[in-house]
Amino acid sequence: MILRKIVAFLGCSMAVLASSPVTALAAQGAAGTSKTISPWFCIPFAGLLFCIAVLPLIKPEWWESHQPLAVAFWSLLFILPFGFVFGAETAAENVLECLVNDYLTFIVLLFGLFCVAGNITMEGDLAGSPRVNIILLAIGTLLSSFIGTTGASMLMVRPVIKMNAWRRHRSHIMVFFIFLISNLGGSLTPIGDPPLLMGFSRGVPFFWSLHLFPIMLFNMAVLLFIFYWVDRKAYCRDIARGRKPDISRPGTKIKIRGIHNLIFLVMIVAAVILSGVLPDMPLFKTAEGHVRGIPVFGEVVLGFPSVIEILIILAAAFLSFKTTSPNIRKKNHFTWGAIKEVAVLFIGIFITMQPALAILKGMGSQLGLTENYQMFWVTGLLSSFLDNTPTYLVFLTTAGAIGFTSGLATTLGTVPAKMLTAISCGAVFMGANTYIGNAPNFMVKAISDENGIHMPSFFGYIRWSLTVLIPVFLLDTLLFFR
Amino acid sequence: MSNEEKNLYELAGRIYDLDEEVYHELGSSLGRVFNEKKEHCIEETFHLMQERNQAHILRNELALISNMARTIQDRAARHRIMVKYDAILKEVADLPASYIKGDILDKKMATLNALNLRSRFSENDHLIICIGRTYGCGGSEIGFTLADSLKINYYDVEIFDEVLKRLEVEKEQIHDRGGYPYQKGAKDSRYLHTSPAFAPTPKSTLKEKFREFNRYHGLPKRDAVFFNQSDLICDMARKEDFVVMGRCADAILTNNRIPHISIFITAPLEQRVRRVMEVRGYDKEKEARKFLTKLDKEHVKYYKFYTGRNWGKARNYDLCINSASYGIQGSVDLIMRMIDKKEERE
Repeated sequence: MILRKIVAFLGCSMAVLASSPVTALAAQGAAGTSKTISPWFCIPFAGLLFCIAVLPLIKPEWWESHQPLAVAFWSLLFILPFGFVFGAETAAENVLECLVNDYLTFIVLLFGLFCVAGNITMEGDLAGSPRVNIILLAIGTLLSSFIGTTGASMLMVRPVIKMNAWRRHRSHIMVFFIFLISNLGGSLTPIGDPPLLMGFSRGVPFFWSLHLFPIMLFNMAVLLFIFYWVDRKAYCRDIARGRKPDISRPGTKIKIRGIHNLIFLVMIVAAVILSGVLPDMPLFKTAEGHVRGIPVFGEVVLGFPSVIEILIILAAAFLSFKTTSPNIRKKNHFTWGAIKEVAVLFIGIFITMQPALAILKGMGSQLGLTENYQMFWVTGLLSSFLDNTPTYLVFLTTAGAIGFTSGLATTLGTVPAKMLTAISCGAVFMGANTYIGNAPNFMVKAISDENGIHMPSFFGYIRWSLTVLIPVFLLDTLLFFR
Repeated sequence: MSNEEKNLYELAGRIYDLDEEVYHELGSSLGRVFNEKKEHCIEETFHLMQERNQAHILRNELALISNMARTIQDRAARHRIMVKYDAILKEVADLPASYIKGDILDKKMATLNALNLRSRFSENDHLIICIGRTYGCGGSEIGFTLADSLKINYYDVEIFDEVLKRLEVEKEQIHDRGGYPYQKGAKDSRYLHTSPAFAPTPKSTLKEKFREFNRYHGLPKRDAVFFNQSDLICDMARKEDFVVMGRCADAILTNNRIPHISIFITAPLEQRVRRVMEVRGYDKEKEARKFLTKLDKEHVKYYKFYTGRNWGKARNYDLCINSASYGIQGSVDLIMRMIDKKEERE
């Protein structure tokens, strides 16, 4: 069974690599300019994904203790040949650029939210039932747009796990949690998901994303409807097996401890907003229009706005730890396992996905994408495996370069509102397609795994998204992106 | 129990203890791998180890325990637990592929076999008879007469009273939706005060809904009542002999490994229609028939929801009786003969 999955995965990866228009175009481009990145440089990325998908199934113990080794192996497999072809300096610049400007802020944000949310605990005897779960998922989804998908995920994951602790069948709850809170919910404001923040810094008005509300509401309603029936079936199975929550005390008492940490959460959200606003301010720009910062290596500069963001987030995390009783963390089963796993895996993902992003960047405008539905699906499918922020930017640039005369005026050109909607929804929604599509996905999986929930494997999760999400996205295409 | 089985039970017990130890060491409040009663978990793990096609579930559960164990902060405690875990994992890996080669016997079912009634109840167990019945087949009367003959308690509406006390709910709002309400000391009149089973609950205001949400821990009222009722039935089963009518008591007791006898009583629809017309005063046969069909559907739905079983399917009961063939006293005699109490009582 596992072998068949591996063969299927390898087959798909190779087929995508060999037949995708991006690859074909990149190869043509390579003939024209000697310094164009070959699609073969994407092999380490595919290899790393393969490891993430398959090794937990066939060698779980080994994978758990050797993750850093696998990540280092695939990263070096990209860096060394890249250095050989393009020169050591270019390779170092490329890797440092991605580590300093993408990975560092990404992991610091995750770290900050992980620490702060881990210091808030909810005590109470609300019993996880389809009704309660729907309410929690709906609240979390709406919250995502205001404190970010990662913030909302970290804040909600433990209460959801706790309320459903009495149940046996609960992995589906976490799957829908990832669909809704970790992804879909972040579509309403630039704070919700990094791609939208990128759009905001490229001239898309701050509140423009609220236009996505009907689409988000539709998706949320459909997914919650499906969830209700899936959860109801699982709930009945649990009851039929004799499981029951402890409701011996009349009345529900809910107590939130460590609530002062919400201040630190707001601090982090403010830091994220600042990171989107500050680079456009004259104070932070050089005469050439570049962002001022600390030179790291060659042309790699750690921008001052990023430094400010990092400092604020780290201060929030530090203060949160200092002002909260360790007992709360103990109650929350707070461990470093989840953030460590995400930090290790995503450093490899960030490094090895660079060639794929570079190819995409170079070929984006040559893909011939002119329709809304094309933008939605291509942005979405690539965001399922690549970082959705650069993917969003590539297609926003592509749309801006098409030469539309009416629509939203961004710094990248005029983009029709419907097309921008399609790109935004694709980037935000389809991060839910895989565990690696969006960082909170993996965090939620890791925290659930640590707390007695048997989460689906990489392929098991994709099966969920193929059967639940893809049909919903097809409906979206018919209703909103035709 | 063979030596092999004893060893398996002991191993299952150690797996449970390991999970408990990990959970206590972590001090977490987010739940654990084995979140049922100890004896249930041990028995379930024992069965998982016995059945070849279930081995992957046990491995998954062990993996979850180890996931949690690896997050223990205290090094010494983590080491101690991981040593235990490794030892258990090795023992599980060394287990024979299956203990059930060549035999079709389902031990779980066999212990509940009607032919084994004598061995089903130990000296410490109480005699509990669960009766499920279709409306209008005389099931309530059979149950009451049976309880009377055995000189044990008969529970129907009383269970609700107890449950309602626990939930602090206004008594008048709840009716016995399962059949004829039984009133002590009013044997003859109890059939007259019939309330329709599964009648729709009156609409409540938003404020009331919110109050209910709070009162029942976010659960639907029906589920909260069911859970409390389950607790109550199990508590009573540990204290006294009784006959219980409906309430999915058979499934509840099975899930809690409490020995009991389950009986289903029904009668052809025509007889039930006639009886309902007499008791409920229906003039038209069509109305009575419609009423019974609707009730049966509701019963099927309710039973399926809470037990996952099919209501009235013979395989779920020790004995199924067509009360039209035996009458009320005949059915009682049949049950008494089955449980071998008639001679003893006489």
